[in-house]
Amino acid sequence: MMTNAWRIFAASWKHFARNLWIGLATVFVFTVALLSVNVLIATNVMLERTVAYFEEKIDVTVTFQPGTPEALLTQARFYVQSFPQTESARLVTPQEAYEAFKERYKSNPKILEAISELSTNPLGAQLVIKAKETKDYPFLLSAVRNPQFEPFIRSSSYDDHREAISSIQNAARSVRLFGSGLVAVFALFGLLAAFNAIRVAIYTQREEIAIMRLVGASSAFIRLPFVLEGVWLAALACAATAGIVWAGVVFGEPRLQSMFAGSDPGIAAFYVANWPMLVLTQFGVMGTLSALVSWIAVGRYIKR
Amino acid sequence: MIVLERVSKTYHPHSVGLDDVSLRIKAGEFVSIVGQSGAGKTTLAKLLMAEEQPSTGRIEIGGWDITRIRAREIPELRRQIGVIFQDYKLLPKKTVFENVSFALEVAGANTRHVREVVPQVLKIVGLEDRAHRFPMQLSGGEQQRVVIARSLVHRPKVLLADEPTGNLDTMNTQDIMDLLVKINAFGTTVVLVTHNREVVNALKRRVITLRDGKVVSDVAHGKYMLTV
Repeated sequence: MMTNAWRIFAASWKHFARNLWIGLATVFVFTVALLSVNVLIATNVMLERTVAYFEEKIDVTVTFQPGTPEALLTQARFYVQSFPQTESARLVTPQEAYEAFKERYKSNPKILEAISELSTNPLGAQLVIKAKETKDYPFLLSAVRNPQFEPFIRSSSYDDHREAISSIQNAARSVRLFGSGLVAVFALFGLLAAFNAIRVAIYTQREEIAIMRLVGASSAFIRLPFVLEGVWLAALACAATAGIVWAGVVFGEPRLQSMFAGSDPGIAAFYVANWPMLVLTQFGVMGTLSALVSWIAVGRYIKR
Repeated sequence: MIVLERVSKTYHPHSVGLDDVSLRIKAGEFVSIVGQSGAGKTTLAKLLMAEEQPSTGRIEIGGWDITRIRAREIPELRRQIGVIFQDYKLLPKKTVFENVSFALEVAGANTRHVREVVPQVLKIVGLEDRAHRFPMQLSGGEQQRVVIARSLVHRPKVLLADEPTGNLDTMNTQDIMDLLVKINAFGTTVVLVTHNREVVNALKRRVITLRDGKVVSDVAHGKYMLTV
């Protein structure tokens, strides 16, 4: 049993070494297939990062009437924070709001002049709410506008941002759907290319397979070295893909930063966090496909 | 040893490979199956190595009824019959040693046995110094001797040679025939399928002549009949 297992293992390696060009051509096709999937995964990561970047920029500011009691403001903040949908809720005092206003309009002397003519601070305290997900803003807004706080609320910025938030939400949905669909389609093309590469490689060896049968080899003894060889080819393609993808990320990511206003596009971070899962999944799918196709394709040439 | 009882092989209604053939070949015999192209020689060889199944009739080899042999039993049969082909059928990516040892390995022989037996059979066929060459580095005669070595590693009781000299020159043909006679002298039944008249006539052994799928003559010390 062990002798046969060793022979099958050794035969698969010898076979690969002696059919090097066919093997390398197959590895090349596998690698191109895996690379196309990885390019799409990276593009998807970037698109997700873009959406997340815009989502991070969104917050909703609830402005209270000047003179709202501080106890009520604190209560409002705790109330909003108690919801699981809330990422953060921050209180801005009237004085801080006034300073921020002046800072924002420092290049507009007319506005600054108008506000300085007022004897008291016309701005009320603000509650800056950040939701975990964009879709949660309407809920949090309606929650804070309950009868206890509503009379003290002067305005909220949600109405100003409603369209922008909705656009980003739609964009995020489309990006996720389109990206996943595209990755699935490319994965399918990749698998078909790999499927054909194995079939062609085995077709070129059909006479050898028939000879093995004629000299008394069992189906399993003929098939298993080809199946194992298919697994080696998939492993080599995965290793090559991992190397090329990593080199591409190291080279390309700094050049993509300008598209993200100098911030990190997140591709390297994604690969660092997910590489074991990505490599194992790709090897698992490619290895299984390769083994399965080899088994079936060899069977076609095992005559009686 | 080999028994064919009323064996017919029909490919299409108008294409008959063998037609009601009955014959018996005893252990240790050297039998030549002769006939012109299309006479049914190759069909007979294919039936003996279970590459095809007869349409009707019964085939037995060494007491084993192989008429309806199951696919998974075929490797076992092939390990008991040595087969030599006109086109050699060597594995091109394996060395001479590996081609011969492959026949043993598929039967699960241990490595020690392989290392003992393969050099012995290579010596018998005079190729001990070619063990690490690949088939394409050998002449036609040498390739055919590798095939003979491969067929001998199992010490088969039957050696089936299908046009073994078809691709060889006169000198190599004589070498191969001498080898087959030598193997027969050790007790192996040899079934030689050929249309080479000189080879058959030189042997002076049993000759079975086929024509249109039928046995038209079976002579104990026969010749290849020109009138066939």
